[in-house]
Amino acid sequence: MRQPDQTEAPDYAVELNACSKEFTTPHGGTYQAVQDIDLKVEPGRFVSIVGPTGSGKSTILHMAAGLLEPSAGTAASFGVPVRGVNRRASYMFQQDALLPWKTVIDNVSLGLTMAGVPKPEANDRARRWLEKVGLKNFTDRYPHQLSGGMRKRTSLAQAWIVDPDILLMDEPFSALDVQTRQIMENELLALWQESGKAVVFITHDLDEAIALSDEVIILGAGPGSTVVGRYDITIPRPRDLLEIRDDPQFVELHREIWGRLKIEVSRTYQSTVRQEGGAA
Amino acid sequence: MSTTTERTGRNAGVARQRPRRRAGVTGPGVRAGQVGLTVLVLIAWELLCRVGVIDDFFFPRPSEILKTVWEWVGSGFVFPHLLITLEEAALAFITGAAAGLLLGFLLARVHFLEQLFEPFLKMFNALPRVVLAPIFLLWFGLGIWSKVAFGFTLVFFIVFFNTLEGVKSVDRVLIDNARMLGASERQLLRHVFIPSALTWIFSSLHISVGFAITGAVVGEYLGASAGMGYAIAQAQGVFDTTGVFAGMFILMFVVLIIDLLVNRVERHLLRWRPTNNG
Repeated sequence: MRQPDQTEAPDYAVELNACSKEFTTPHGGTYQAVQDIDLKVEPGRFVSIVGPTGSGKSTILHMAAGLLEPSAGTAASFGVPVRGVNRRASYMFQQDALLPWKTVIDNVSLGLTMAGVPKPEANDRARRWLEKVGLKNFTDRYPHQLSGGMRKRTSLAQAWIVDPDILLMDEPFSALDVQTRQIMENELLALWQESGKAVVFITHDLDEAIALSDEVIILGAGPGSTVVGRYDITIPRPRDLLEIRDDPQFVELHREIWGRLKIEVSRTYQSTVRQEGGAA
Repeated sequence: MSTTTERTGRNAGVARQRPRRRAGVTGPGVRAGQVGLTVLVLIAWELLCRVGVIDDFFFPRPSEILKTVWEWVGSGFVFPHLLITLEEAALAFITGAAAGLLLGFLLARVHFLEQLFEPFLKMFNALPRVVLAPIFLLWFGLGIWSKVAFGFTLVFFIVFFNTLEGVKSVDRVLIDNARMLGASERQLLRHVFIPSALTWIFSSLHISVGFAITGAVVGEYLGASAGMGYAIAQAQGVFDTTGVFAGMFILMFVVLIIDLLVNRVERHLLRWRPTNNG
């Protein structure tokens, strides 16, 4: 593995060096979520992290965002150590994170109004974003009045409107049905293309990871999981996500990466079965 | 309808909200039944008094009670008393709710203070509040302030505990999301904690409005020179049960009207919430 060299290393958008994270369990013990994570994402790159359930994918993203402090190791962004929330990043959560008491437009413009942008201007920009994600007729709805896909689009607009340099996405589309999901993936790629933004995308779906990314990182089974594989995805862009699964390059990459991921998935499965067997 | 109600199950923001009764969803059949039941009970009461099954010294006839209510209202006798009681209740409610909200938010956000104050708050809350009334009477005298102080202790704890719980139960993801979007501590309070705690605060407001009036009336009953509790105590002093019941009914209606107003405000402020049948 390459040693981090301060003098000639470019400023990575996201840079985790040997990051570990321990949690205290309610019984007073410690739980090692992730161990020795190295993650470097250059500006403008799309990197996916794939791993079995419980492999600490969200923990990694939280450390990159500054929502969690690593127990060991360092987190940096554009050469600056991450202290507190990383202001150059937006985060798209797996769960619904829209404020249920704000209308769609107020949710989308929130990042701007909190930064002091005057309300009329913030609303204008929010309206443009809502048009972009196909929700211009829903500006005055409350989140509970929207479908799951529409809520995700609102979240996407909310995260992008502040024009972050980094987008951290934690299984953003996992709650959606397959069709809506493909549409959302396409929309995401269209937005990201040539935006120059770095994306760290977490998913448990290898197809999704390969289709979207420049690089796929495989995490080992938890607890104490670490990076077990890195794969460059060289499929040329722009990609047609509806056809990509038949692309011979895609098929070859999928076969290769799945061969590695499979081992971790079955290890996770077996340890779960063991635990359940032990508990019964 | 264009508003699909696809629920993901992870929809923590709204699924978490407790279901609550909504005014105005009762059908006409239920309404008619309610009116019918009221009339039936009143007629039965009246008749049983007239034939002597119920002693109308202890349970005065509804017609007599209504007549007394009419007299008290018509002669204007009741209004000064009602005004004093409402004034005490309003002061107790405003000060109690304000202190409860303030301390609730503070302790929910500063973990150290919560740990520091927890045993003391538990202690005071465990104290049956009615025993404070005599000491407040000595401290603050027969005027309105002893009643305000008493009502304050009743209102404060309800609002405080509900606010504390409401702020602490805010969905972690909502806080993280707002922070990622650049929220300062003050903005978190304004955009996340206060609106999120509102559902809890409102459920406590319904109860605490009632408690503020209870505090005022009980305080007056123990020692005062005016107020509904005083009027009821006076009636009781001359064995005028009709007067006691009349005072009860008037208070009941006033509290009902106030509760309806609280409902109105609540429905406006919580309009973002999904209705159960929507």
